[in-house]
Amino acid sequence: MMRRFDRLFEHSTRSLAQRTSRRSLLASLGQVLTGAALLPLLPIDRASRAHAASDSPASPESCDYWKYCAIDGFLCSCCGGTSSSCPPGTAASPIFWIGTCHNAADGRDYIVSYNDCCGKSGCSACDCNRNEGEKPIYRPSRNNDLNWCMANANVNYHCTVSVILGVAEK
Amino acid sequence: MTRRARARQALLVQGKAAFLPVVCAALAGLAVVARASPAQDYMLYCMGCHGTQAQGVPGRIPPLAVSLALFMRSAEGRNYVLRVPGAANSALPDAQLAAVLNWLAASYGAPGEPAPAPFTAAEVTSVRHTPLADVQARRREVLHALAASGAAPAAQY
Repeated sequence: MMRRFDRLFEHSTRSLAQRTSRRSLLASLGQVLTGAALLPLLPIDRASRAHAASDSPASPESCDYWKYCAIDGFLCSCCGGTSSSCPPGTAASPIFWIGTCHNAADGRDYIVSYNDCCGKSGCSACDCNRNEGEKPIYRPSRNNDLNWCMANANVNYHCTVSVILGVAEK
Repeated sequence: MTRRARARQALLVQGKAAFLPVVCAALAGLAVVARASPAQDYMLYCMGCHGTQAQGVPGRIPPLAVSLALFMRSAEGRNYVLRVPGAANSALPDAQLAAVLNWLAASYGAPGEPAPAPFTAAEVTSVRHTPLADVQARRREVLHALAASGAAPAAQY
């Protein structure tokens, strides 16, 4: 048994030594190292980064943007629309939920409506889930768990816009 | 619940749209500063379903514009609008509910009709706490009576 193993390993070792050299090993290693060093210089699709949520609270593509305080959904500003207009091919829901958001820039509170944009499948970009002031589903006008596309001809939910309705009284 | 979950439940909910709350009435523009409390209460508690102009959604959400003032013409109509789910179950206290309804009737009244008598907090208190068992059946009865004596709201809700 042990002799068979000895012969097997001796054969494979001699075969490898006949087919390769230290120079070829160094050449292959050099190719790998050079390729790894040059990889970051290759062109990539940096434009796709525009569809990622921004980290800046001042950006309408950030979940932390002030008027998104009661949002639950995909930001239309990341889906081909803006923070207050639906993307092409979708229609705003005539019914919506309401939030009250504080704008630190001017220190005032604003009443904001959140309208779903309906007619296409979910956008899936910039998924935000903030629920300030949300009420249970039996208070529907303050609840964001409903599919507010329910009153549209096409009830498929795509993304959500937010519209400032007015300044909130104290 | 997230939007992904909500999108999945879309088909489950759509058939229930007609049962969403039925309450208030209108607002004179989208980007308006809410200076009057009834206007703000309408925004916060009613507008989500009844719309920025109290127009409702045809075939799904009853309008409050014009309709509310017409209901307020008769004792049965007044009783009805205070007992529909959106009014009976509203988070608004009786006095604020009366104020919102009166503001709606004044802002989105029925053209050519005399202004209806406003609701009082006492009237709201005495009626709203007995919800309707069958809203649609009661609506048909009230509309039938109103139509016999003059203008009546739309019947398709």
